[in-house]
Amino acid sequence: MAKVNDIRALVKKLRYDTSLQRYDRIFDAVLQAHEQFEEQKAATMPPTIGRILMKNKFAGLAAVAVILLASVFLMSVFDKSMPTAYAIDQTIQASHSVQYLHIRAITPSHEDYPVDFWVEFAPDGRPKNMRLNLPDWMAPGGGPREVVWKDGKKQEWLKEKNILTISDDEASAAQVVKMIENLDPKLAVTRLQEKQRQGLVVLEIDEPTDLAESIVVTATSTEEDDSSFQRKILYVDQATRLVNSIEVYKLINGEYEYAKSLAYYDYNQPIDANLFILRDVSHDAEQVDLMTMGLGQGSHSHEEIAAEVVRQFFMAVMAGDYDKASALFPGVDASGIEEMFDRINIIRIVSIGEPIPERNCFRVPFEVEVEEDGKTSLLKKEGPLVQHLAGQTDRWAILGDFK
Amino acid sequence: MIEDSVLLWKYKRGSKEALCRLYEKYRSDLLTVAVNLLGDTNSAEDVVQDVFVSFVRTAETFRLTGSLKGYLATCVANRSRDCIRKRQRKWAVLAKRDEPMISEASNPVQLVVHGEDLERLSLAMTQLPQPQREAIVLFLHGGLKFRQIAKFQDVPIKTAQSRFRCGLDKLRSILNGDR
Repeated sequence: MAKVNDIRALVKKLRYDTSLQRYDRIFDAVLQAHEQFEEQKAATMPPTIGRILMKNKFAGLAAVAVILLASVFLMSVFDKSMPTAYAIDQTIQASHSVQYLHIRAITPSHEDYPVDFWVEFAPDGRPKNMRLNLPDWMAPGGGPREVVWKDGKKQEWLKEKNILTISDDEASAAQVVKMIENLDPKLAVTRLQEKQRQGLVVLEIDEPTDLAESIVVTATSTEEDDSSFQRKILYVDQATRLVNSIEVYKLINGEYEYAKSLAYYDYNQPIDANLFILRDVSHDAEQVDLMTMGLGQGSHSHEEIAAEVVRQFFMAVMAGDYDKASALFPGVDASGIEEMFDRINIIRIVSIGEPIPERNCFRVPFEVEVEEDGKTSLLKKEGPLVQHLAGQTDRWAILGDFK
Repeated sequence: MIEDSVLLWKYKRGSKEALCRLYEKYRSDLLTVAVNLLGDTNSAEDVVQDVFVSFVRTAETFRLTGSLKGYLATCVANRSRDCIRKRQRKWAVLAKRDEPMISEASNPVQLVVHGEDLERLSLAMTQLPQPQREAIVLFLHGGLKFRQIAKFQDVPIKTAQSRFRCGLDKLRSILNGDR
């Protein structure tokens, strides 16, 4: 029997109905109750004060005057006490004071495995500390991971691989800040407001009278090819004017389909500083300092740096510097590199070919002259895959898959 | 919601058509809530009838501040609880007398959409603890928000959410044969 995955959808389908005759029988009983109630009401209702007053002309005029005065009075009181209608500026203003936040990202295909972020902002609004728990489905093959960013240093703990990566460079920091900015509800609302001013988004606001219900802001993109979203629905708390959640929809075949949602919890509930420290790392975890891995891109283009990585890899192997070779091929340690080339003596690099894009990497063809058992020959291959390091977009290394 | 406000306004001024329209609009939803909560189709119709009768008697002073469907679903849930308590007391008495507890009387209330998964789900729902069943049914069929469910169950919002999640997890496990 096939496994049930979407239990929520199945429960929604669990609907019951009965025959029309039974529904009619129930309604007959309801109607009877209604008529009995109406009869009781008619039997006990006293003449209205209005009818009594209008029998006396002068009393009637006085009554009208009182009503008019009361209306004027009530209108003035009413205007002052009427809560201000919602405007998106209010959310932006309210968000300025937010220092702590817990964010949960949910996608429909992995509803039961949300992604959780915890962020602490500095008084000037810039992100200060962050923790991110990534489930397995977000990084297939890498396994679930915990990421913290504190005091400018990023640590990533890959539990299943028992690896702790560390990076404290500007590029990592910029990457983390950018991720937080994409999730920050204050910036999300600010961007929407700006897009509205440019005519790129239409905003509709539904402000319920029930203060327990959220204000609903529907933002619809007017750009046909807007790949970021076609529609966003923001749920804003009436009391605080802060965003409770955002739902993102994509327009597919003329219908808006739910793509993902972000929920915001615990606004300004202080987050324990220990949450921004990785405490469960095994004592024997392999620690990898990403700043020593791969090759910095500098001013090179993607193709140039990919070719340079392969060139320097072979130069390191020729020099017998297997530690350096391993740093350019992080998947294999120095002894593994030595073993790979144990029987192949690379004499010279003949050529490093033009890197060819493949998936989101580059395949770098090469030709080298090798000596084996006293004989030299040319070895020409399609080459390895080269890519920037995960979490380090400006450092490049060999991914593997030597062909 | 606007339609409900208009219908309610008309009904308060004596329109039977408005009452009929409200009944037709929500009868199936409320029956679904009642059957899912009670696990017993016989009592579900009685509960739906009681809720509408009570609504008729209090409509004049009733003020629509949120969703009418949510309000009626809450009424169904309240009466379902009363029904379950009475049932439990009755079973306790009958058990002492060695009398059969379950009525085998047939009832035309049935699943709208048939299928093996739904039949099994219908049975699985009866295995859930009542608070979890309430949270699931009121959220998915009653249209209530967690804040409203929490108020109904007199628990914190997170407890209501937890009951919802745990209930769904348990249903999934039962259907997937994990239990």
